Amino acid sequence: MNKFLVILLFTTSFFAQEKQTDTIFKKRVLEKTEVDFLMSYYTQDGDHAAVTGGIGTEKLTDITPTFIVALPLNDDEVLTAEVGISAYSSASSSNIDPFDGNQPASPWIESSGASAKDTWVNGSFDYSHTSDDRNTILGANLSVASEYDYFSIGFGGHLSKLFNEKNTELTVKANAYIDAWNPQYPAELSSGFNAPLGYTTNYKEFDKLGRNTYSLSLSFSQILTKKIQASLFLDVVHQNGLLSTPHQRMYFADTPDFYIDSFHLADDVERLPETRFKLPIGARMNYFINEYVTLRSYYRLYTDNWGITAHTADVELPIKLTRSFTVSPTYRYYIQSAADYFSGYNTHLSTNEFYTSDYDLSKFNSNQYGIGLRYTDIFTKFKIFKLGLKTIDLKYSNYTRSDGLKASIVSGGFKFILD
Amino acid sequence: MKLNKIKASFLLVMILAFLMNSCVVVKEYEKVYLNDTDMKLTANKINKFETNFQVYREAASGANGGKAGGGCGCN
Repeated sequence: MNKFLVILLFTTSFFAQEKQTDTIFKKRVLEKTEVDFLMSYYTQDGDHAAVTGGIGTEKLTDITPTFIVALPLNDDEVLTAEVGISAYSSASSSNIDPFDGNQPASPWIESSGASAKDTWVNGSFDYSHTSDDRNTILGANLSVASEYDYFSIGFGGHLSKLFNEKNTELTVKANAYIDAWNPQYPAELSSGFNAPLGYTTNYKEFDKLGRNTYSLSLSFSQILTKKIQASLFLDVVHQNGLLSTPHQRMYFADTPDFYIDSFHLADDVERLPETRFKLPIGARMNYFINEYVTLRSYYRLYTDNWGITAHTADVELPIKLTRSFTVSPTYRYYIQSAADYFSGYNTHLSTNEFYTSDYDLSKFNSNQYGIGLRYTDIFTKFKIFKLGLKTIDLKYSNYTRSDGLKASIVSGGFKFILD
Repeated sequence: MKLNKIKASFLLVMILAFLMNSCVVVKEYEKVYLNDTDMKLTANKINKFETNFQVYREAASGANGGKAGGGCGCN
């Protein structure tokens, strides 16, 4: 009997042990559902509106509420859904038709017509699956965006591999956006417009309204020391289709000028090549200086086949004031050369094949100063229904461009964890 | 021209990646500083709005671990 018990105990413990070795402990990729509510308020003003050919008010305000929900489907899979709205009011867009308001038409005065306001709606989904050893992440994404004159559908995939005891990560991403314009041309170029005597142009509507973007992205992250880690990014982007913005006016130096009130009637709309190749390379390096201060830095070199070369340098210094509060001063410097097709108001020649007076494609530099504040509650004590508040982020940034454009943005974010 | 730029960029990234990869291996239990929220190699979520207006107001975009282009009537 005793022999039998010994054998039974031995066998049971053997199988129990075997079962234990078969069980692999897996930490969930995402422990609980996370909900982010983000919002920003953006304002800008300047005097080089592209809609009015490089002169006129650029006044614009934009409010963008956004929800992001990250949902763990099981131990290995996460589904992330994002829905955002951008409601903007733009003085320059209002001047697509400057004659539909109650005021005299002028590039310096906002028209009160239908094109003064618009809403951009965006929805995107990302699915990712992480392998049992947590060294491979495979995913796919889908996005849809729509506004009055533009529609976009995008899709793609991504693969990440971690090596070297998770000290090294290599990620490859491929994305395609199949977009289409619903072009809004300047009012005076429409067929029914009551134009002044003698006003004629060589303007023709665009016949191809699609815009496709294909991108291949490579990123490499590496832990350098116990306190330093860095990433390298390389994107190869090819665009084709209607890359011009159909409502941006052009004025030629070699054609007669016609006015209604003080508004210069367009000679044409912006014409840009139907292909563009972009090549940005970026690097990010973070340094944990001490338990209070971290240095976050970023640099990017950008070049494209429209003749633009740009440099971006960004530095952020998060300082932990207490366990819960972190303040982050930021500074960003940006400089770009002009596109080959850019020239200012009324300086292009009608004989040129391509032309734009969009100052976003001109030569300029910009400075951006900001300050961020983060509140963190790791215990998520404050609850709204079943959602525990984990972090609050607030940030203000001020942006000035060497051509006179000024902008400021206030952003806020609330992160909740579902209990 | 286009191909040369891609080749040169790819080569640069590979050289830098090789140099970075030659560093010492940091064990999981030694990553306490690297796991700090401020050490993340991705941009903070609220920065997406700033990135968005910069994409409209500037010609350059991409190479930041996020979207590389497309999906908007921007530059």
